[in-house]
Amino acid sequence: MLTQATETAGRLLGSRWLRPLNDLAAVDDLLAQLHPTWSLGRIKARVVEIREETPDVRSFVLRPNRRWPGFAAGQHVSVAIEIRGVRHHRTYSLSSAPADRLLRLTVKRHAGGRASNALHDQLGVGDVLELSPPAGAFVLPKALPEKVLMLSAGSGITPVMSMLRDLHHRAPDRDVVFVHVCRTPADAIFAVELRALAASMPALRLAIHSTAERGRLDGDGIASLVPDRAERQTWLCGPASFMEMVQARWQAEGLADRLACERFSGPVLRRSAAGVPVRVRAARSGHSFTTTGERPLLVEAEAAGLAPKHGCRIGICRTCRCRMTSGTVENLRTGELSSEPGQLIQLCISAARSDLELEL
Amino acid sequence: MKTHLTREQTDALEAELDALRAEVTADLGARDAAHIRGIIRLARWNAIAGRSLLMFGITPISWLAGVSTLGLAKILENMEIGHNVMHGQYDWMNDPTLDSQTYEWDNVCDSGDWRHSHNYMHHTYTNILGKDLDVGYGVMRVADEQSWSPKHLFQPISNVALSALFQWGVALHDLDVSNNLSTPQGRREIRARSGPFLRKAARQLFKDYVFFPAIAPWNAPRVLLGNLTANLTRNVWTNVIIFCGHFPDGTQVYTEEETVNETRGEWYLRQMEGSANIEGSRWFHILSGHLSHQIEHHLFPDMPAHRYAEIAPRVRAICENYGIRYNSGSFWKQYGSVLTGLVRRSVPKRAQGGGDLAPRQELAAA
Repeated sequence: MLTQATETAGRLLGSRWLRPLNDLAAVDDLLAQLHPTWSLGRIKARVVEIREETPDVRSFVLRPNRRWPGFAAGQHVSVAIEIRGVRHHRTYSLSSAPADRLLRLTVKRHAGGRASNALHDQLGVGDVLELSPPAGAFVLPKALPEKVLMLSAGSGITPVMSMLRDLHHRAPDRDVVFVHVCRTPADAIFAVELRALAASMPALRLAIHSTAERGRLDGDGIASLVPDRAERQTWLCGPASFMEMVQARWQAEGLADRLACERFSGPVLRRSAAGVPVRVRAARSGHSFTTTGERPLLVEAEAAGLAPKHGCRIGICRTCRCRMTSGTVENLRTGELSSEPGQLIQLCISAARSDLELEL
Repeated sequence: MKTHLTREQTDALEAELDALRAEVTADLGARDAAHIRGIIRLARWNAIAGRSLLMFGITPISWLAGVSTLGLAKILENMEIGHNVMHGQYDWMNDPTLDSQTYEWDNVCDSGDWRHSHNYMHHTYTNILGKDLDVGYGVMRVADEQSWSPKHLFQPISNVALSALFQWGVALHDLDVSNNLSTPQGRREIRARSGPFLRKAARQLFKDYVFFPAIAPWNAPRVLLGNLTANLTRNVWTNVIIFCGHFPDGTQVYTEEETVNETRGEWYLRQMEGSANIEGSRWFHILSGHLSHQIEHHLFPDMPAHRYAEIAPRVRAICENYGIRYNSGSFWKQYGSVLTGLVRRSVPKRAQGGGDLAPRQELAAA
């Protein structure tokens, strides 16, 4: 009965009849004017320190506000980054230990990457970021396995670093093998910290493999580094090609069920020119249709039997506005191509230039 | 379309205006985001101050101050914020609180109804008789080409009434009440589609005339009267500005036949020739939601409005180049011509040449 009462109270307090007093976003904005990290429900974190881990990798040490619920090692957060007035969202794994008071996000600068470059070039000490609650199933279980293997390459080290630091707090004598692949020794993120951990964790074995010096690390290379891999629960994170290689090897050895993977990016959708048939999925209605991209998506959707909202049909009124979850479209008015996931497009003036998923 | 420009010229006009739009779109960034956020904060703090003065003040001076600040807040929210956000001018920011399709503004008009009647109908069929309901709002004769009917005799009075109750006129606009009430299927349509309006109006009336007075019971009558006056202020201001957009002398209206198969260049031309600007200071423009730049707004409805003031000299130059009239004047000149026009058109026009007073069938009755 109490839960029913609180539910009803919650519904009443959120009712449209009480707007604008219960406009939480407005109250939040007023709070933020008073103090940048104050918020009713949003997690905000202030940058307290910036560390240069390698020439193109930076760690941002953050102090979160009271809305931060804590996290499990290996989880990630979505960071809202405003670049030139536009809000972008990017997901980063936390590289700090859950027991640490401060959070750490370790970001690698990607050539041409809008968010990573913005973070490196514009984010300074004292700035405030908005974070989503932590998420992800790539975590250590409560009952820790006896033997652990962590495999990472490049910036894939971030979640497993969090796990290693967590193990250092919870079970410093656990048998851990930590293999990290990097281009050159100077590119080994957290190298100093790893060696310090190795000094204080008696059963930790570190292997940092530099591809510039020793060539690519393939399945056989891993096999010789970790002969007892069949006895270890393995956590894997890195670029797609590295992960595919390890997954194939583990699969071949019948160890697929002992392998947990964290993928950083989704599959890249190939762009195509007008005239090439592509598949469009309308996620909400569950329908899919094919289009050659020669006519606007509104016309194609209608031809396929869907009835999207529409108005002027000439790109002015925005009634046909729809979110594109993934893919590439061409704006037929301006000729501009765009592939930003989650962006809003006007169906009446957009044509498909790759397989698409729409929130339709 | 009736115009002195050739097809070649309208194509060239189209290219120039498209290029101008692309240039501004590419330049949108942090300062545009800062502008709208600044106006939103200004409006919010004025609303808080205004309502507090009404609720907790004692003297008539604090009542006047409360009404002024609350009125200012409502004007900013209606014009520079609400109208512009709903046009999609800030959709590019990806901020859910500035989303054109979900923003709900602080007046009795339901945002969905507004998006339909304004963003879609008015901006697509601007000044086309029989299609653009903004031409006279169903009660007034604002163009010589509109046929006269006896109710127009009273339009100087109905203008004042509409002005005082403008938010209701805006709210009922999408239901096309004056036309639909006269036919059974029109009445059915009103019944079917009036739900969102009735619900929005109920919530707004509750907020301003029940809730806020009730939470300050020691000052309830003062709060109620204050809210009423603030709403009235906003109504009159928005009405005056909006009427200056398409009704001053020199604005063109069109028939459906004239605008069939329009190219985008011809659409641009119709937007320019059907609109009029008001000259003023930077803050006058902001208070008008930059509808003082009606010409630029009609060319580029989804461009952040404060940019209109920046591109106005270039639009004016383009007009000069093509011999298109750039209808701009001081507030008193433009509004004065609206008022004199209303008086003049309240009586039937003695037709030149034909002497025929019968309403022309192909033009829609106002």
